[in-house]
Amino acid sequence: MPRPSRISQLFFLAVFMVLFVMTEYRGHDQINAAVNSFFRSNPLVLAGYLLSVKSWNWLLLPALLMTVATLLLGRFFCGWICPLGTILDLFRFKKKPDKAFKLPKGSFRFWLLAALLSASLFSINLVGLFDPLAILLRGLTFFFYPLLGLGFGEGWVGLYHLIGEKRDSLAPFYAVLRDHLLPFRSTIYPLAVFSALVLSGIIFLERSEARAWCRHLCPLGTLLGWLGRLSPFRRVPAGLCNDCGQCRELCPAAFERELPADGDCFRCMSCENGCPGTRVSFRLDFQLKNAGPLIPQRRALLGGMATGLLLAVPVRFRSRQGESLLRPPGVRDENEFLEKCVRCGECMKVCLKNALYPATWQSGIEGFYTPVVIPRLGYCEYNCTLCGQVCPTAAIPDLTVENKRLEVLGKAVFDKNHCLPFAKRIDCIVCEEHCPIPDKAIRSREVKVLGPDGVWLLVKEPYVVEEICNGCGICENVCPLETKAAIQVFAVRNRTPIVKTDLQKVLQDKLPYSGYDVR
Amino acid sequence: MIKTRRPLEAGGFFCIFLEKWFHGRTIVKYRFWGGLMDRRTFIRSAGAATALAPMLLRQALAANEASLLAVAEGGDYPAITRKAINAVGGMKRFVKAGDVVVVKPNMGWDRSVEQAANTHPQVVRAVVEECLSAGAKKVKVFDYTCNDARRCYVNSGIENALKGMKRVECKQIEPERFKKVQLNGRFLKEWELYDEVLSANVFINVPVAKHHGLSKLTLGLKNIMGIMGGNRGFIHRNLDTALADVNSYVRSHLTVIDATRILTAHGPQGGSLGDVKRLDKVIASADIVAADAFATTLFGLKPADIPSTLSAYRRGLGEMNLDKIRVIRV
Repeated sequence: MPRPSRISQLFFLAVFMVLFVMTEYRGHDQINAAVNSFFRSNPLVLAGYLLSVKSWNWLLLPALLMTVATLLLGRFFCGWICPLGTILDLFRFKKKPDKAFKLPKGSFRFWLLAALLSASLFSINLVGLFDPLAILLRGLTFFFYPLLGLGFGEGWVGLYHLIGEKRDSLAPFYAVLRDHLLPFRSTIYPLAVFSALVLSGIIFLERSEARAWCRHLCPLGTLLGWLGRLSPFRRVPAGLCNDCGQCRELCPAAFERELPADGDCFRCMSCENGCPGTRVSFRLDFQLKNAGPLIPQRRALLGGMATGLLLAVPVRFRSRQGESLLRPPGVRDENEFLEKCVRCGECMKVCLKNALYPATWQSGIEGFYTPVVIPRLGYCEYNCTLCGQVCPTAAIPDLTVENKRLEVLGKAVFDKNHCLPFAKRIDCIVCEEHCPIPDKAIRSREVKVLGPDGVWLLVKEPYVVEEICNGCGICENVCPLETKAAIQVFAVRNRTPIVKTDLQKVLQDKLPYSGYDVR
Repeated sequence: MIKTRRPLEAGGFFCIFLEKWFHGRTIVKYRFWGGLMDRRTFIRSAGAATALAPMLLRQALAANEASLLAVAEGGDYPAITRKAINAVGGMKRFVKAGDVVVVKPNMGWDRSVEQAANTHPQVVRAVVEECLSAGAKKVKVFDYTCNDARRCYVNSGIENALKGMKRVECKQIEPERFKKVQLNGRFLKEWELYDEVLSANVFINVPVAKHHGLSKLTLGLKNIMGIMGGNRGFIHRNLDTALADVNSYVRSHLTVIDATRILTAHGPQGGSLGDVKRLDKVIASADIVAADAFATTLFGLKPADIPSTLSAYRRGLGEMNLDKIRVIRV
């Protein structure tokens, strides 16, 4: 019988994976449960959010509860819940750890945590870059899940080329897989390999010692350990027994060391379960013997805080290119967005048309992994609100469909040098056809123009009604020109939602000085 | 069954007389020079003869009962759909026992039923049921959507309307099934078409009647775009010719136009109920041009106002002169 903490670990890993797969459009406008639950109950996300945004957010209430639970029960998250920790436990290499491997030990993790949190205080919220759940989710979302989809998808296509119509007899089986497990599209993301390398690297660290990441680097674990130091729920006796020492072998948090301090104990109770006698037990004990100093590693903490402060200025560098990024619907202010975004990658996973991609260097380190709309690759579906639903911190607000349709991502602009009706005097109007705004933000007027061969022609020339364009990007996406689209969405500073107004009147007012077509 | 896709140029002339002789029984498989030919191939080979005898062909088609058209009106959409189909000879005229039938509705947009951007699910279901009771082995319903396929299938209401029906398939498009086809048309020499249409015995076109920014209206002839792969926006630069090209390759054996409610402006997506007009009508005809021509009048336009109808008529794909179409109102 496996110990209870192992069962719990596997349970939460399964929950994580199920929620991960559920974080996709599967026929319903609302996603009831998504993998964001893990981020919403993540104290590190909470700390970063509170320090950078400096206001409360009810979405993060579970994280507050988790904080309280950690104060009472110690760093149990790492031994009972953390899906990355479970994966590390499952991947543990059987052979003896490779001692040639040296990790920055001891104080580095405190330095890292302090640097992240103090940078957050100066509105540079980068905790998500190092959050273990975010690392896991990004690795899965950007690399392993598309890989799974690609494997099955290509296999299915290959089967068609092999046996043709006969494949239909297998279709029901494949449909079950496709509808319940596989990604709808196997998107290739930027940073896919990098994300996979980071995740694999953490797993590879297991060769150096068990739970190496958790004990020497993980900022979430460090935070939880610091919070849980004073927990009354702890192991008795605190130290090893003189005649046995078996605990040292069993403990995932100790290595070549005495047992971990209370702050580092995962409360997994392996030692209690594996104790040859019945001497070890976990119980409530209000004596603070093994808690360590109130502020551990003072020097590292101060150093980290100074680093965070010093980095807060240069990290804020953004090229002008960064300003032109299109953000998901409902994001009106770039700074506020960067303060709130966890960089977990959920919005990019859930995005119906794969409009969202992680930013690489376009907006500096600060914007690394934040979602960016690339309309030529995918557009924002008019009736879809999924990204806002899964965002754990409402960096992308959860809007009703009616409100989301009015949110402005940018504004579409024609490039008349490319656009067929202007450049070649040929009808096209694919953009107008696809424009989802009921009153049509792209319209066309029939004009008599001189064709290239000197013959008068009637051509439909498109134009954008900026007042009602929400920048969803479907026009840029479907523009039938190859490579560069003749209509592009450009970011705008003023992203106040479209006002539902009497369009006829708006156009009428414009009429004296522009050629708007009022019908 | 043997399928001859090779145009039989030399036989074309003979075909026309054969077509006249078989007058009305359009789905009969013609035994011809040792091979079996379905009607589509037959018409295509007849098409090849147009260079030789355009007048003869025009006559042949004009005399054909294909220009029979039925309009049914009423609030019970499945019932009027059946009435319209029965008035043009019943589904048994088009579907024989054991046939694989493709029913191609318009479900290209992520819009609700009442917004009139997609074919009404009840109309689609009624057509599918008629096919089944005529003995179809399998009925396939699909569209190559413009918005996200999952949302379109769900929100058009069509997927749900067909749920649980035996011998009915409502699958999303699988891109690997598009096959490059030599259309040898006037604008499109070759294009990718969906193989489930190419291999089906019967193709039933079930569009919704609505406004369109470029082609003015989108009806049966334009609905054929839903079986085309590739960069479909490309064909907008010569839309009416391209549609005639594809429609002369893939002939609709039956066209059922959903005019239960029509979209009068801001098509083909609409989105505002102010643009939707309720007509409670369903049109059916074996002649796609006639069906389109008649549906045009519902918008207060003339058939010749719609370039795709005009192009198709000039190509001999059907009759657009309203006085030459026999309209049955039921």
